[in-house]
Formats: sequence, C-alpha cells, structure tokens
Amino acid sequence: MSSAVRRGLDILEALARLWPFRGPAGVGWSFLAPALLIVGVLVIGLGYMIEASLRELDITTYRLRDEYSLGNYQTFWSRDVYLSVLTRTLLGALLVTAITLLLALPYAYLMVRTTSAAIRKALLVALFLPFFIGQVVRAYGWLIILGREGLVNSAVAALGFEPLPLLFNFSAVIFGLVQYMLPFAILLLVPALQAIPEDYERAAEGLGAPPWRTFATIVLPLARPGLIGAGIVVFTLTLTDFAMPEILGGGTQDFFASTIYDSFFQISNAGLGAALSMVLVTLGSLIVAGVFALAGTGTLGARA
Amino acid sequence: MTRLMRPSRRGFLAAGAATLATPAILRAQEKPSEIIVRAWGGAWGDALQGGVADGFTAATGVPVRLDFTEDNEIKPKIWAAVDQGRVPPIHINWDTTTNATISARRGACVDLSDLPNLEGLLPLATPVGLEGYPLVNTYAYVYVCAYRPEAFPDGPPESWRVMLDPKFKGRIALYDDGIGFNPIAVIAGGGTFDDIPDNMEPGYEFYRQLKENAPLLGEDPDFTTWFQNGEIDLACTISVNARAARQSGIEVEWTVPAEGCKVDTDGLWIPKGLPANEEHWAREFVNYALSGEAQEKWCSMLGLPPVYPGLAPPADLVGDPAYPTTPEDFAKLVSVPSPILVDNQPIWFAKFSEIFQG
Repeated sequence: MSSAVRRGLDILEALARLWPFRGPAGVGWSFLAPALLIVGVLVIGLGYMIEASLRELDITTYRLRDEYSLGNYQTFWSRDVYLSVLTRTLLGALLVTAITLLLALPYAYLMVRTTSAAIRKALLVALFLPFFIGQVVRAYGWLIILGREGLVNSAVAALGFEPLPLLFNFSAVIFGLVQYMLPFAILLLVPALQAIPEDYERAAEGLGAPPWRTFATIVLPLARPGLIGAGIVVFTLTLTDFAMPEILGGGTQDFFASTIYDSFFQISNAGLGAALSMVLVTLGSLIVAGVFALAGTGTLGARA
Repeated sequence: MTRLMRPSRRGFLAAGAATLATPAILRAQEKPSEIIVRAWGGAWGDALQGGVADGFTAATGVPVRLDFTEDNEIKPKIWAAVDQGRVPPIHINWDTTTNATISARRGACVDLSDLPNLEGLLPLATPVGLEGYPLVNTYAYVYVCAYRPEAFPDGPPESWRVMLDPKFKGRIALYDDGIGFNPIAVIAGGGTFDDIPDNMEPGYEFYRQLKENAPLLGEDPDFTTWFQNGEIDLACTISVNARAARQSGIEVEWTVPAEGCKVDTDGLWIPKGLPANEEHWAREFVNYALSGEAQEKWCSMLGLPPVYPGLAPPADLVGDPAYPTTPEDFAKLVSVPSPILVDNQPIWFAKFSEIFQG
C-alpha cells in the first residue's frame, strides 16, 4: 500500500470519527425540541381540560362556576346514556379493528409478495386513492350508494325485492369506518411484512408445509409487530371518530365523540364536555398502555 | 368687538373639545373593509344575502360576507373572544332566540336599544326576560309537519301521533336535539301546554314509543337530503326547509296537525369587543335588517312572518297555518317563552339523548 493511499485512509478514518456527531449536551435536546413543543402544548391543553372538567355549569349565567367539584364526573356515572354510548363506541372500535386487520393483512401481503409490478402499482393506487377523498365526502358517497334509492337498492329493486335498510344503523357505521381505516392499516402492515425474509417461507414450503400453514406459523407470528401497530392506530382513530357515526348512523348511533361535541356545543356545557373528554382520553390511554404492556409496541416502537 | 363675536371661555373649550372629538367620531364611522354576518346556509343564506346584505351594501358601500359556521360552534368562539378581550370573529350573529338569550345571559351582547328602526315593530321583536335589547328578533318561524304526499294518499296527517304508525318505521325524522318538538311531544303524548316545563313525562313517554319506530335524527340539510332520496315520509322541520325543498322540485307538503306546531323566533345580535367603527356599521346592518324594505324582501324569501307590521305574505303562503300573522293564528301554535327554553333545553336534550341514544 502506497503512502498516499495510507494517508488517504487516515484522513477518512479521522472523518469517520466525527460521526456520530458528538456535540455539546444541549444538541440532543434541541433535536427533541419540536416534539417537546407539541407534547407541551398538548399537556397544557389537557391541563385546561382537567380544570374545566372540575367546574359545573351555572345555568343562570351560562358560565362555569368558580368552585371545583366532581359534579360533571358524577353526571357521567349517573346517566346511563353516557355509559351506553361509551360501550357502543368501544364495541365499534374493537369490531372495526378486527375487521380492518382481517382485510388489510392479505392486501398488504399481496402487495409485498407479488412479483408483478403492474399488480403492485394497481394495489398502491387503490390504496392511496381514498386519501384524496375526505372522510365526510366518503360518508356522503355511501349515502348515495347505500340509500333507499341508491345504487345497491336500485339493483335490489330491479330484481323484484324490497329495498334493504342498508343505512342509518350500527352496521352502516362499522362498514363506513372499516372502509375509512383500511388504508391506514395496510400502510402500517406493509413495512412489517417486508421485514419478513421470503426465504423463511420458501424453507417452510420446501419442508412440505402447505401455504396456509406457512402463513399461520411463519408470516402471522412475524407480522405481529405490524398487526399491533396497525391495530392500535385503527382502534384509537375509531374510538375518537365523529363523522362516520354522525352521517351513516342517522343520529341514533352516535359514538362518544358526538356526545362530547353535544356537551360543548349543543348545550354549551364546557365543563361536562371536558369531563367526558377526559373519560375518553383516560380510557383510550389505558387500553393502549395495556396492549403495549402485554404485547409490546409493535411497529410503533423504536425497537420491537 | 361685539359680545357676539367675543369667544367666551366655555365656548372656546366647547369648540376645542369638538375639534378634538371630531376625528374620534369620524373614526367611529370609518367604513370597515367588510361586515361579517354568521348565517345558516342554503335557502337561509340566500335570503339573507338577497334580502338584507345586498341592499345594505348598495346603501352604504360596506360589503357583507356571510360566515356559515354552525350556530352552536360560533357561540364558544365569540364567548372566548369577549372574555379574553379579543376582537370577535364575526360582527353580527344571526341566531336562534334561545341561543341569543344564552349569549345575552353571559353578557356577550351589545345593547341595541337605540336602533331607530325598533320603533313600531311588532311585540315579537322584543326579547323576553332580558333588559333592553341585547338581541332583536327578526321574524317568527314554525316547526311544521312536513310530509311526502305520496305516503299520505288520504290527505295530510291530522295528528303528530301518526309518527307512531308502524308503517312509517324508519321513515320519520326529528331534529337531533329534539328542538322544535319537545313541547309538541308533551301534547301528543297526552299532556297539555300547562305541563311545560314542570311535567314533561307525557312527552318522554311519546318519545319512548316513537323510538320503536326508529326515527332518523338530523339537521336542516339532512332533512332535505332524506326527502330527496326518498328516505323519509314525515319530518318535523322548519317550514323554510320544506318550502325550499318544494321549490327545488322535491315532493314535499306541510301541515299543522291538531296538537299544533312549535313557533319560535330568530334574531340578530352584535358581540361585544368590536372596534368602534365596526360596531357602528354592525348596528347599521341590524338597523337596516329591521327596515320595512329589508324585512319585506328577506322574510318573503324565507316565507316567514316578519316583525315589521303590515307586510303581506308571499302569494304561496297566504292562509297557510305555518305563516301566522294574527294573534288567532299564533294561538293555534305552541309558543314557549325563551327564558323557559333557555332554562330547560339542557334538561330536555339530556332526556331526549337518553331515550334515543340509550
């Protein structure tokens, strides 16, 4: 090795020592600053919400009382309607999560494993198209398609049957939410499936395992981080969804977000609205924390 | 120097004060770039634009922008601005009298007692249970029984109890907070007007029976969509919506059943905290909206009885029970004073939700 080459390598080595960059102690924190700012604003907002939730409405002035009490939380516990809407919301979120993951997994798997570039592109386009259409517009689209005089019922009527009640019920809300959540779940599952070496499946195949067994014993367990990540995202988004239950539920299938909205805006009771919000935030956080504790953070964690 | 020409000290001070004050007055009347009026959309917004805003702009040169933020959503924004000493997001709120009364109770409204056009208006214009004019009512409206004629071949429904008929299961609609129907439910449920607000149980019982018939619950635009798509046969909605639907070719009629219909009012109010010149022109706008010219045009477009006396109803509404003009007409309808509505609406809404969402 010539001395010039050796000198060049020495320079490269010296440069390499500079990476990873070790600056003053504050540099790391400065990288975190934007995130801390966002979280800080959120925490301040939550603080205000907690404070408001402890003050009841004075109907003579329509202002929150100065004294603190647990009255708004007692109202939540004492009124069956809140518990039943909350139960409906939780049930809806669980159903939507389960159905969405069931549909998203094969879609994502096909997208990752297909050898045809055309199919992959078609699946990608189909995946991203819904993102260009907002949730409200999509919900109104379903009103047109599933309505009494919509496309589906026109076909049903053409066959000589009575129109089907496809809208304004719990099933319609679940259907609309699954359709809305599906792209999110697929997007979160794809990286997890891509991380599974294809050789594992080939090895299983070579050892005589039928495709279903390979899928059940190799793909599914290794896709767990993706399933957990996608499940958490879909569950939390559904838990707080407002538009789909409002539009497709016909006013009688409200989720808890609608109840919160009604308290803030319909009856101008910010204290009660804040208390209901805190109930939903606490419940959602506990459920997510429980899943993290039992099953890990999945693809949502830095290291699974 | 004559006495007349010699300036006295008082005169000198007065002249000085006037000189100093003039720019302030001029500033107070300086035209803003626009006046923002919160409004409802669809036929409602069109009527305000054509009936009031266009005429106001032509007369004053001040452009008017309609802000279609939901009435319930603008409330907290205005309240927060007033409480925090910020300039409110709108100049005038076109609001239900009940909501406007709530804002007045919070002390968020400017007093409008000195508007010249208040003179000679019908008593309906005066807010009830409030000092002065923190709001001014502009017309009355009726929550009618709107129906699809095809579904009622024997004529219009005679009683609200037709809602309980199983053949209309899933084909009835109410407002999603029960507004416009709570007092009627009491009467349809076997109670009387005197039961309101202390004994609402007959109304709640009516709702419980109605729940079995799976009514849809929505807002103004929903009713139009549902009628248009053939989703419903019957709805309790404001006559303006039914009339607008009919005018746009949807097969809808309306009636006032035997139990009556709830009559209510909407009004205009100005939030506190506007710059002086903007408040001045906001007042001018409200004043103009109360003029005979604006009232005639605005209310005939809406199809509602104005607070300006002596105006003839639109040709298609002459003799319509949903267009009350005389005390006898109003007697056939159900009118609950605003303070009772303000005090009880949260309770009624809670019960309504409990029954239909529970």
